[in-house]
Amino acid sequence: MILDLVPLMPELLVAAAALALLMLGVFRKADTSREATVLAGLAMGGALAVLVGVEGARQTAFGGMFILDGFAGFSKALILVASAMTVSMSLDYLKRENIARFEYPVLVLFATLGMMMMVSANDFLSLYLGLEMQSLSLYVLAAYHRDSARATEAGLKYFVLGALASGMLLYGASLIYGFAGTTSFDSLAKVLGGSGHPNLGVVAGLVFVMAGLAFKVSAVPFHMWTPDVYEGAPTPVTAFFAVAPKIAALSLLTRVLIGPFGELAHQWQQVVVFISLASMAVGSFAAIGQTNIKRLMAYSSIGHVGFALVGLAAGSDLGVQGVLIYVAIYLFMNVGAFGVILAMRQKGRAVEGIADLAGLAKTNPSMAFVMAVLMFSMAGIPPLAGFWGKFYVFMAAVKADLWTLAIVGMLTSVVSAFYYLRIVKVMYFDDAVEALDHPTNPPIRLVMAVSALVVLLFTFLPGPLLIGAKAAAQSLFAAG
Amino acid sequence: MFSALIFYMFAALAVASGVMVISARNPVHSVLFLILCFFNAAGLFLLLGAEFLAMVLVVVYVGAVAVLFLFVVMMLDINVVELREGFLQYLPTGAVVGIVLLVELMVMFGGWAFAPDVEALIQAPAPAAEQITNTEALGRLLYTTYAYLFQASGLLLLVAMVGTILLTLRRREGVRKQVIARQLERTAAGSVEIRKVPTGGGI
Amino acid sequence: MMYVAAVFLPLLGSIAAGLFGRFIGDRGAQVVTTLLLGVSAALAVPIFTSVALEGHSVIVPVLHWIRSGSLDVSWALKFDTLTAVMMIVVTWVSFMVHVYSVGYMAHDRSIPRFMSYLSLFTFAMLMLVTSDNLVQLFFGWEGVGVASYLLIGFWYERPSACAAAIKAFVVNRVGDFGFALGIFGIFFLFDSVSFDTIFAAAPAKANTIVHFFGIDWNAITIVALLLFVGAMGKSAQIGLHTWLPDAMEGPTPVSALIHAATMVTAGVFMVARMSPLFELSNTALMVVTLVGAATAFFAATIGCVQNDIKRIIAYSTCSQLGYMFFGIGVSAYPAAIFHLFTHAFFKALLFLGAGSVIHAMSDEQDIRRMGGIWRHVKVTWALMWIGSLALAGIPFFAGYYSKDSILEAAFASHTLVGHFAFAMGIAAAFLTAFYSWRLLILVFHGKPRADERVMAHIHESPAIMIVPLMVLAAGAVFAGWLGRDMFVGHEEAGFWRSSIEVLPSHPAMEGMHHVPEWVSMAPLVVAGSGIALAYLMYVFAPSLPGWLAGSMRRVHLFLLNKWYFDELYDWLFVRPAFRLGRGLWQGGDGALIDGVGPDGVAAATRVIAQRVARLQSGYLYHYAFAMLIGVAAFISWYVFNAR
Repeated sequence: MILDLVPLMPELLVAAAALALLMLGVFRKADTSREATVLAGLAMGGALAVLVGVEGARQTAFGGMFILDGFAGFSKALILVASAMTVSMSLDYLKRENIARFEYPVLVLFATLGMMMMVSANDFLSLYLGLEMQSLSLYVLAAYHRDSARATEAGLKYFVLGALASGMLLYGASLIYGFAGTTSFDSLAKVLGGSGHPNLGVVAGLVFVMAGLAFKVSAVPFHMWTPDVYEGAPTPVTAFFAVAPKIAALSLLTRVLIGPFGELAHQWQQVVVFISLASMAVGSFAAIGQTNIKRLMAYSSIGHVGFALVGLAAGSDLGVQGVLIYVAIYLFMNVGAFGVILAMRQKGRAVEGIADLAGLAKTNPSMAFVMAVLMFSMAGIPPLAGFWGKFYVFMAAVKADLWTLAIVGMLTSVVSAFYYLRIVKVMYFDDAVEALDHPTNPPIRLVMAVSALVVLLFTFLPGPLLIGAKAAAQSLFAAG
Repeated sequence: MFSALIFYMFAALAVASGVMVISARNPVHSVLFLILCFFNAAGLFLLLGAEFLAMVLVVVYVGAVAVLFLFVVMMLDINVVELREGFLQYLPTGAVVGIVLLVELMVMFGGWAFAPDVEALIQAPAPAAEQITNTEALGRLLYTTYAYLFQASGLLLLVAMVGTILLTLRRREGVRKQVIARQLERTAAGSVEIRKVPTGGGI
Repeated sequence: MMYVAAVFLPLLGSIAAGLFGRFIGDRGAQVVTTLLLGVSAALAVPIFTSVALEGHSVIVPVLHWIRSGSLDVSWALKFDTLTAVMMIVVTWVSFMVHVYSVGYMAHDRSIPRFMSYLSLFTFAMLMLVTSDNLVQLFFGWEGVGVASYLLIGFWYERPSACAAAIKAFVVNRVGDFGFALGIFGIFFLFDSVSFDTIFAAAPAKANTIVHFFGIDWNAITIVALLLFVGAMGKSAQIGLHTWLPDAMEGPTPVSALIHAATMVTAGVFMVARMSPLFELSNTALMVVTLVGAATAFFAATIGCVQNDIKRIIAYSTCSQLGYMFFGIGVSAYPAAIFHLFTHAFFKALLFLGAGSVIHAMSDEQDIRRMGGIWRHVKVTWALMWIGSLALAGIPFFAGYYSKDSILEAAFASHTLVGHFAFAMGIAAAFLTAFYSWRLLILVFHGKPRADERVMAHIHESPAIMIVPLMVLAAGAVFAGWLGRDMFVGHEEAGFWRSSIEVLPSHPAMEGMHHVPEWVSMAPLVVAGSGIALAYLMYVFAPSLPGWLAGSMRRVHLFLLNKWYFDELYDWLFVRPAFRLGRGLWQGGDGALIDGVGPDGVAAATRVIAQRVARLQSGYLYHYAFAMLIGVAAFISWYVFNAR
């Protein structure tokens, strides 16, 4: 039993940190938001270190409900990095908006814990609990700014729709349980592997499960909450939403589809192809008309999920590798972009219109450069990192003969280039009505610099990421 | 034969009251139908021999959740007519989607088949009902095999609690709160003063 | 080294003048290009001695170029007798033209550009004649095409120059298409584009049959005819000749260099180079003969009625090229190349002389407004006479030997087409003499018809223009006499060696020495009568031409309008192409491609964006419905598809 806990060490550390910070916040009368934020960031860093220590060969715990393999390790590392970066950027913003409270880092920690549980889930029960842990924290975070009508509305919408999605997921899981008599992924793989032609009920159950998970990654047609929630939630929360939960849910979806349902690849591939196409299309087209940059980023993230799903649709280890590379690059691009958005202030007041970026190239060249690099990268223009992300997923799709996906993907990435480049145009060619303030917060500036560097230099040093993603993808296939 | 009759009675009542929950005009009635639905579900559990679940359902859902619902519904001023309008507007679409799903699910169940080795998998975790009570069986499962899930659920509830407090608890000035410690600390000497009041004189 | 230098020095000069013309100035550009070309021309002499006279054929590899599958193309310079002869012609005429241009273009605004183009052309032409494979030949072929385009359109402010340049380019495209197909065919047939490989393998493939359009064709014939289409385009043979007269829009030195002496003879050179292939196909040779003979006669008839001094000479060029081709057609390759060699000198002389006249007459080109100027420009006059005598084939001038040998060979071929060609050639010789003297008389003799202001300005050209003319005149006088024995005489076999191949079954070259006396005399007689007729019509009875034109109005108009070739092509190709182009532009490109393409996509994107954004209503139940409908749709998909 004690040995069982070793693979859980990172989760235990995060959980303990969350509880400790909760105590600290409750029992200290003074405002402890600063200390809590710093400690939460440190806890994530510590968890990352522990993760590196315990990660290795495939290990399971608690009768196979929890799994730590290369795939889970890779995803968890990304999640921890994303969470740490976003939480470090949040404090300054929340303080300025006068909504800094110690619960914020605590909830982020709980959400992170949920995500880590998700990617390590090896059973529908642990999957559901991880998912709910993450979702509940996110619902609350979305409504965190409780005096803002928009934030409250965002939280409520997210909550209701999330509950609906969870219901679908549970219904699907129960259908599958009804067929197979087990919820364990390992047993499911065995049962489904031998069943030959799949029962329609299992397929339907799988569809429901996929719908529930697609909601979490905000893939079309389960994406509708995304723009409203992204726009309504406080910006640090949006930054958090845009990255870590996406990575977690995509990893989870990948594990579920490749692991227990690997034998049903022909069935789920159709759904994945469709939601991937639809996501790329909606993400590209709907973003064009947006004026709010957070809303734009919401559609952008929908589009990016579509691109990542291209790799998943391939269903091969190459495809999974592509997905992992894509989300890793997506992480840095998005965190950096949100760093810029968080730094958008005019005379101390936060603004979020695209037009407010006008003339940034003159008033703050370095920030404009970072944003331009990130936008070019998101548009997939070589030699920036974003190009390689798309390159690997499209390569996987082409290898799997999914030409439609690859072609539509390229077309939509052209369309999406329109709005990414529009931001660059606004920054570089429009005249500023009112200049943005210079960001003074060191964490934000650090995050911007790091992400821009990663995006710029990936072409020259792709090795570590490629090797890591490859090992992670292969661990998933070796097990199944 | 008899138990089958009882099963169909509970099942029919559960479905009927479920329908009434969403179709009753008065929200309070809806909640009451919900409670009826819970009772019937508890009855079904009893028929299965899961008396612990049946009791938990009654105690927790009926005793706590549904009653809380009732309070909330009574306190909120819900305009039933407005709700109706929305309902009627979206009824056609909803009905079509619902019927399509229903038909498909029926098709699905028509061709239902269990996986070949499903019996063995189901039997595994739970010992035979004759050996131990199902309360004990549940307890054993929860605290051994499912310890991870149990702990996770605990954390989940904690998150829910933290969230609720975060979103709703407000420290307002001038609010009188009951502080039990202070109540207990108080003595007659500190709080009561005895005065002689002259008749007809006032204080 | 000498070989490589001879070919690449002009390129160096072109780059120097073209890219750095601004730094080295007009004078610098002239000096650099002319000097480098002079070196190149000087080098051509020892090359000629070594390769042609002493028989040391060489192939100088330069670089590997393309290696793809079995296609292996290298840059290599092949020097055999044929190449050496062409080298002499190209470098020396080009050198003379360079020198002449220094004087002729002295008042132009973009001298470095002009000199650069001239040198570039020379380089491409050298590349063409020294290539050892078809792809490299094609490179040179297109290179001279580009240079020709650039030079015809050199005065790009003139719409007519631009139109002429485009016309030249487009008409050449038709020929080049055939040529390219021919190259493909050869690669298909021989799996190689290298001359040596092709020629070695050619006899074995002589009877290869390809099935095409339901008919069996001889593969060699098809390939040879395709190549000949290319030659027709470049050498302005009937049908594809229309660009050459228009090309006279370019500066006169260009006309002399490109459109008389060198580029237009590239087709003749190419066919001669491919002689081992053409020899294998009697059909192809017959076609070459017919086309050549027809061109020789047809162009000469037009030349008789034209009034622009340069156009007359241009049609004369056309006609002379026809001679060369029918010479080839009767397997008298040496005679054809001999004519090419002599023609280069006297035709360049005529063009440059015409340029000198135009220069003297203040840019007047219409011979009806000239006359009686011989006293003022005596040197030019004398040189033009020499050129015309050579052109008409008067004994002991260069043209006499070469033209005679072609005509004799045609007669000696003893074939029907050969005799037809002979007849046409004799007729053309008569016409040639006639129009040459018509030109001479109208330009230099009689009464002045130009106005006084022009007449007052008439002056002899400067020495820098006259000296090249004299050099070329020396060539026009002596080239035939000197080259006779080597090219077509008894030293012929030892001179050409393997560079030209003639089958024993085609005995024209041998037979030309044994033709009846009257055949040798006929050209001379008709030339004499042509000159006499010219004198009769333009000196003794000046009213005769007008009367003739009036009485045979239709014939005159027919000739004046150049057999209506331009009108025919205009009606047949140009206007439909314009209509098609306009239709594709407005209907296809504007409405369809732009409308559906960039503009349409942009507009559609906007509309889609609005629609998608409108879906985002903000209402919770819409969102929930979207999710439910999505799930229902997926499930339906499986219910209806999975079974």
